[in-house]
Amino acid sequence: MNRLTNDHIECIIKDLNYRGIVADGIQEELIDHICSGVETEMNQGKKFIDAYHHILKSFGNTAGLQETQQEIIKSENTKSRNMLKNYFTIAMRNLRKHSFYTFINVAGLSVGLAICFIILLFVINETSYDKHFENGNRIYRTKSEIKFGGNHYNMLYAPPILASALVAEYPEVEAAIRFRERGSYLVKRNVDNIKEDNVIWTDKDFFKVFSIPVIAGNAETALAEPNTIAISEKIAEKYFPGENALGQTLILDNKMNMKITAIYKTLPQNTHFHFDILISMEGLDEAKRLVWYSNNFQTYLLLRSGADVKQLESKFTELVVKHAMPQMAELLGGDFTMEKFIAAGNKMEYTLQPLSDIHLKSSLQGEFEPNFDIAYVYLFVAIALFILIIACINFMNLSTARSANRAKEVGIRKVMGSFRSHLMRQFLTESILLTFISILLAVLFAYLLLPLFNQLSLRTLSIPFQQPMLYGIIILAALTVGLLAGIYPSFFLSAFKPVSVLKGHVALGMKSGLIRSALVVFQFTVSIFLVIGTLAVNRQLNYIQNKKLGFNKDQVIVIEDAYALGSNRLPFKDEIMRSGKMENATMTGFLPVSGSWRSDNPWWVEGRDPAVQENMVSIQNWRVDYDYIKTMGMKIKEGRDFSREFPSDSTAVLINEASIKRFNFTGDIIGSKIATFGDSGNGEPDRNKLITLTVIGIVEDFHFESLKENVSPLMMELNEKSEGPISFRFQSQNTQEVIQLTEAKWKELAPGQPFTYYFLDDRFGSMYAAETRLGNIFGIFSVLAVLIACLGLFALTAFTAEQRMKEIGIRKVLGASISSIVMLLSKELGKLVLIAFVLAAPLAWYGIDWWLKDYNYKTEIGVGLYLMAGLVAFLIALATMSFQSFKAASSDPVKSLRSE
Amino acid sequence: MYKSMMHSPELLKGTLQTILLKVLKDHGRMYGYEITLRVKELSGERILLTEGALYPTLHKLEAEGMLKTEVITIGKRVRKYYSLTSDGRSLVKARVNELIAFIKTMGNVLQVELN
Repeated sequence: MNRLTNDHIECIIKDLNYRGIVADGIQEELIDHICSGVETEMNQGKKFIDAYHHILKSFGNTAGLQETQQEIIKSENTKSRNMLKNYFTIAMRNLRKHSFYTFINVAGLSVGLAICFIILLFVINETSYDKHFENGNRIYRTKSEIKFGGNHYNMLYAPPILASALVAEYPEVEAAIRFRERGSYLVKRNVDNIKEDNVIWTDKDFFKVFSIPVIAGNAETALAEPNTIAISEKIAEKYFPGENALGQTLILDNKMNMKITAIYKTLPQNTHFHFDILISMEGLDEAKRLVWYSNNFQTYLLLRSGADVKQLESKFTELVVKHAMPQMAELLGGDFTMEKFIAAGNKMEYTLQPLSDIHLKSSLQGEFEPNFDIAYVYLFVAIALFILIIACINFMNLSTARSANRAKEVGIRKVMGSFRSHLMRQFLTESILLTFISILLAVLFAYLLLPLFNQLSLRTLSIPFQQPMLYGIIILAALTVGLLAGIYPSFFLSAFKPVSVLKGHVALGMKSGLIRSALVVFQFTVSIFLVIGTLAVNRQLNYIQNKKLGFNKDQVIVIEDAYALGSNRLPFKDEIMRSGKMENATMTGFLPVSGSWRSDNPWWVEGRDPAVQENMVSIQNWRVDYDYIKTMGMKIKEGRDFSREFPSDSTAVLINEASIKRFNFTGDIIGSKIATFGDSGNGEPDRNKLITLTVIGIVEDFHFESLKENVSPLMMELNEKSEGPISFRFQSQNTQEVIQLTEAKWKELAPGQPFTYYFLDDRFGSMYAAETRLGNIFGIFSVLAVLIACLGLFALTAFTAEQRMKEIGIRKVLGASISSIVMLLSKELGKLVLIAFVLAAPLAWYGIDWWLKDYNYKTEIGVGLYLMAGLVAFLIALATMSFQSFKAASSDPVKSLRSE
Repeated sequence: MYKSMMHSPELLKGTLQTILLKVLKDHGRMYGYEITLRVKELSGERILLTEGALYPTLHKLEAEGMLKTEVITIGKRVRKYYSLTSDGRSLVKARVNELIAFIKTMGNVLQVELN
């Protein structure tokens, strides 16, 4: 039997290759088949060439061969599993081959997705507040707007009688409860006190309005008796570990014995209050007063289903006229009428706020906890979207940019019989695969970043790994983002015409630069906007921290809950002063940081008619001691400070500059007298008892609330018996020593009572905690946005440089310098960054203006800041680009020009 | 061998898989060209498998897991042998029975006697 020689076989292989039989696994098989056929015919006496042509003819010559090949490929690919596997393999191969671009794509996408993921968790959390109450859609609370005596209040505090009046007058109101905050309490079971912050007085219908699961006790009767409390599970476990707390007693502030009548499930984090101890309002005398002019109670209503809220609200004016106005007339005397009251620009209005609006849309006086602002939710969502878009743009930019390099691949594939749909699927598989990898990494990043974010945002977010929804979302997100990012490149790339591509007309890469330029501009607009925003927020915070406040917030320690010392208050203060470590000490709760005691009363210049509303000045009435001004470091502008040498100072008063304008004194201010009604003994003013104080000094205005507020009128009178905290001004730089000194003395004089303190400057800083947090979060986001945008720019420059390799080579040969080539490469992208700056600056200006409108004292945001942000963005972009440009420019032209 | 005596490829189309499976069952391991020879011989040269039909079908059966392959290098040539997998083997009988039933049905439809 004849066998084919190697030459024959070689000849057949070459010829088949020439005829386009090249597919893996098919080529060999057909060769073997043809060889076998030729051998058989040669054995029958034919010559090699005749036999070969005969066999070829039986295949149908070139066309038949190719058709066979295509049929085989098709038959193999009918199973979608194989097809996918093929796409997958090729995708992996491509990603590995271009690992630099893959890295940039994955890095950018995963960081972007991680941020989106965190923000998504955050937004879900923020919008989930108070949704767990069964009757949530029927719960409302009252808002009070009161404008009187030069003051304008928008607050939650309502008169004690409002709740019962609403239930009595309007059938729509099913139940109404009040809350009364009395600050923190010292709580003990036997001996040792623990300070509890989340304590509130409330009415017995609390559990009727708020469907909080009661674990032990009867929810309906729990708070019906005085001296009873309901406690959360958390508190029950804290004070009665392993015991049944129901029916037991807790002692509040060393004097109130409270019986536990109910234990309820600890409130979830996404509730607008987190009370741990509810004290029955039955035991609070203040709550029984029938007055309309004192506002101290937050009032919540449960409406009947189907109640018309708008209609109910409209009836409140009538309520004010019927009940509140007669009382006002009596109090103020004279010819008080509602008409005059309103004509003088005054207001007394009650409106309703739905429960669902509280967390995101409310920021009034009397909130239990600071709420969030819906504007920031939108801002966060916008940032998340922008970052995601920036990351997707990187992807699109790189894919289309690289298209030139892949054009040949597309051409060959098309020649080989790929349909356009195959190619699109191939590219989409690649992008989905990439997204999927990125998403897994993103979840990992998010997991690592969440603790930091929680710290910044004061939340306790976690990734819900146990929820199957999460995995669904991940897969869905991979598909969506993959499609989004991949659809444009896949359309773009698969549309190439094989003939022109294979001939070398592949300039498509840079020609389609318009869209790419727009995308780069967009990326940098967002980045620059965020950078300007961050700089502005930080500048304002800096300004606040360093603004002259009118007092000295540094080097002051405040010992809280001094009332726990009982009669040892003064000895405690005196003995610590005797140690010589402290400069001054003062005992009062009226401190110049928000959250301290405040008291507001109407006063007038003695001799004027209090019934004339213009004469009344609503003024902060602080009771302080002799050393207050010295300890806090305020300045006396005129007159003198309180002094022990003047016994008459018990009827003296210091006023601040802001109050002078309002009192409108005639003649000398020092020595003038101001007056108000005295107390009748039950907390109500007594019109027959006048209190008169003599002005002995004027204090320079100092900021005692957030700088969002103006300095309001303020007076200080003497009171040496304050139960408030004790503040010490210390000299030592060693704060540890100061703490130890005071704590040792405390333990000696108040055994068993918790020692708590703070530094005045820390508390001052916490007034701006929200702003600081915002600044930090903003800062992180903008850094990341810039980073992702730069990644894209980096890769894009690398690509451009690669594309223009030959051009650069020729330029160098003709004598171009490295710097001129770097310039050439960076110029175009630099222009785009410049355009981005021009777009971002006005947007940022608008945003900053919006944010700063809340502040009465704001820093100047000059042109300098914008230019600086622009310059920073430009420099970062330049640095990113020049690395690649320089690499390209300094390469040896011989290398780039030799081939071809 | 006369062209007029050969069966038309149209008729063969639906039976090709069955033929391949049965031949491989009876002869074990075979390569493509060997299969054409065998079928030619068995059919008394009335069935000539074209390469354009044979290879796609083989590859399809392989992709479906009915056939397994084995590659042997002979000098410069590479020969690919096909044989049945266990899945393929269990398929053969069903396919052959199906075809026999079909032939009987055709006999009834065409009103001719089959021997």
